[in-house]
Amino acid sequence: MKRKQWIKNWLVASVALAAIASCSKKDSSIVDTEYPSIDVSASNSFPKQCSEIQRGQKFIAMIHVSDNKELGSLNVDIHHNFDHHSHSTEVNDCSLNPVQTPVNPLVLIKSISVPAGQTKYVAQQEIEIPADIDPGDYHFLIRITDKEGWQTIKGLSIKIK
Amino acid sequence: MQSLQRLPGVKTIGIGSGQSKPLIRGLGFNRVIVLDKGIKHEGQQWGADHGLEIDQFSVDEVEILKGPASFVFGSDAIGGAINIKRPPPPAPHSFGGDINLIGKTNNALLGTSVNLFKRTNKWFATGRFTLQDYGDYKVPTDRLYVYDFAVDLHQNYLRNTAGRETGLHFSTGYLGDTFRSTFYVSNTYSKSGFFANAHGLEPRRVDAALHDRSSRDIQTPFQKVNHFKVINHTEIRLANHQLEIESGFQNNFRQEYNNYVNHGYMPAIYPDSLNIPKNLEREFDKNVYSLNAKDAFQLGNHELQLGMNAEIQNNNINGWSFLVPAFDQKSLGAYVYDKLWISDRLLLHGAVRYDHIDLNLYRYEDWFQSPSSENGAPSYLVRADNMNRSFNSLTGSVGLNYNISQWELKANIGKSFRAPIAKELSANGVNYHYFSYEKGNPNLSPEESYQADLGVVFSSTKLRAEASPFFNYFPNYIYLNPTSDHDYFYGAGNQVFEYSQARVIRYGGELQVKYQPWENLSAEMLGEYIYAKQLSGDKTGYTLPFSPPASALFNITYKPIHTGVLHHTYLSVDYRITATQNNIVPPEKKTEGYSLVNVQAGTSFPFQNNNIQLSLQVQNLFDTKYLNHTSFYRLIGLPEQGRNLVLSLKIPFHFSKSHITEN
Repeated sequence: MKRKQWIKNWLVASVALAAIASCSKKDSSIVDTEYPSIDVSASNSFPKQCSEIQRGQKFIAMIHVSDNKELGSLNVDIHHNFDHHSHSTEVNDCSLNPVQTPVNPLVLIKSISVPAGQTKYVAQQEIEIPADIDPGDYHFLIRITDKEGWQTIKGLSIKIK
Repeated sequence: MQSLQRLPGVKTIGIGSGQSKPLIRGLGFNRVIVLDKGIKHEGQQWGADHGLEIDQFSVDEVEILKGPASFVFGSDAIGGAINIKRPPPPAPHSFGGDINLIGKTNNALLGTSVNLFKRTNKWFATGRFTLQDYGDYKVPTDRLYVYDFAVDLHQNYLRNTAGRETGLHFSTGYLGDTFRSTFYVSNTYSKSGFFANAHGLEPRRVDAALHDRSSRDIQTPFQKVNHFKVINHTEIRLANHQLEIESGFQNNFRQEYNNYVNHGYMPAIYPDSLNIPKNLEREFDKNVYSLNAKDAFQLGNHELQLGMNAEIQNNNINGWSFLVPAFDQKSLGAYVYDKLWISDRLLLHGAVRYDHIDLNLYRYEDWFQSPSSENGAPSYLVRADNMNRSFNSLTGSVGLNYNISQWELKANIGKSFRAPIAKELSANGVNYHYFSYEKGNPNLSPEESYQADLGVVFSSTKLRAEASPFFNYFPNYIYLNPTSDHDYFYGAGNQVFEYSQARVIRYGGELQVKYQPWENLSAEMLGEYIYAKQLSGDKTGYTLPFSPPASALFNITYKPIHTGVLHHTYLSVDYRITATQNNIVPPEKKTEGYSLVNVQAGTSFPFQNNNIQLSLQVQNLFDTKYLNHTSFYRLIGLPEQGRNLVLSLKIPFHFSKSHITEN
């Protein structure tokens, strides 16, 4: 008698929970849970980890980005790393200059437009480095989002000579 | 706080070095209130990187209220409440105390808490002093990747997570037959380091040699938190009325220190002319005055309770980084709660509550200039403007309890609310620790929640089983939505995270089964499941952040009966299985499931007429490397603490002749 009741109680409780649990299964696969990606290893990608850039000149940034559904917005940020604070997301370190005190470091924050509806895009952006900025170690930070709001960040160490 | 994690439906948000924040059925931060001796504990609940300012040694009994509890507590108890009860007063004519000693191996924690108490017949006083000092904690890995950046850990130490805490408590009171009044004064202080290689989620290069020299020093970044509290509880019994008045003052003072880093358009060199200390990144200074009053009385077969709560808050900020403006807040609420006994078996209860909240936010301007448009002249950006908002809310609940023989049925439906907080209304700053530009929404309406709770309990001499499913609907859940945009002027190029409101459904439940075939042996199973889904807005179809994965805990406890001089001896093993969490929302990551084994043992033995209590716990017995989905550091893949042995000893003593054992 006791045993029967025990089993019955168990059944009632687990059926109730299982019923709730089973409703959810189908939904989770519909939403996009994939992050966009930045390919810095592509042969014409620039800058790369440890690239050198000249002051007073222009260069073309080539950034390969992709997403499984639709890309969002792309953004680059160049800031100094004179204190070696490091946002580098790359494993291999470049040889850094000694720590230096900034006087007129370059701060550049730039949006690069990505056409709507793309899953793969190679962004080309001309960037001019003023002649009067401090040379030294800098970071080149790339941020890409997709339409759903997933963001991937790559930080590269570069040198401005 | 972490010991609560064992309870089904309760989780914590780990924030490193053993500190954590409560999460009830997947809701936390400002959706769970902590009640300390009747007064709502007010710190910086919204922040993800500091713990609850409560001295665990001063906590006697904790009650968890799962589900909406707004009708007694007002705004914020939308997810539930953690009620730290008033400790019972010492026994009449007693004079004594106890010494607690605690040691933990993982972070080499050493702690002590000394308690003294004295009571005549009607007067009493207690005092407590707590001190804890811990080193960097250890994780079962020697290399981490913050994003893709490799961080090597010196001897598995998580760099700079050491800390220390002190607690001072004093209480005194008069316990008469019709009048009782007690004052509680306490001050808790902590200084603790943040993991140095990633402040928030931002990878940082560190001077490893400096940090690795000692596992006990606290370098930058670190935080200091001080919480001062005075609480009075007064109870008056008049005829069949029981009147209770709780009043309190609290000051929460939190400072975050860090070496100056010029993010975005901040100047490369910290200006000398600025009157903010160079290493002070953030400071929050909060004063809170609270008053609760209630009258409980009997009217026929109605048990009635009338009550009100009032609170005044002043919040000031300082530091070179900005997240939330200074603000003042005034709230006033009143409620009626009725319990009606229809029969011995059936109890009906219902409550109605009305709240009014006024919020005044103050203007904040950047201390540095930024370009305000493409090629525009630099200017001082206004991060927050003066703003006044008022919120009114009518909430309530109805429920029943029904008992038949071994069964007990509880059902409840109710509406709860939460007023938007300053951060949600007016944040307009870059959170460099998350690479996010957080943008408040001044038009947010108070968040509302409709919830149905069911509880079915079966109990016999050997078996107790309880199932508690719930269903919850939010017409306007306030959510920090990561968008696909970057902002160039206010956001310095960071991803825009915007506060928005969405319809949300949540459901789930807990299951507890305890089987005790013999007096000395018991087995227990605790399970929990939560599902959440956004039904509207930008993230339709996604879950809510920090959704705990399903989990089950299996326990076997052995309590030998005939153990000679030893009493209350136990040996208990917990086996917890946690499912994989694939149900995520930006910016989360999927988290793999894991299983953990914890062992607890304890006993007590007499020593000079007192019982010394000894307990030993082994947490994460197999030194399993796992990630906790609800941890603050989950996004940078920081594993949880490795194996940890916790040894604690409680030595009571008594000065007075009449021998009374304290709990």
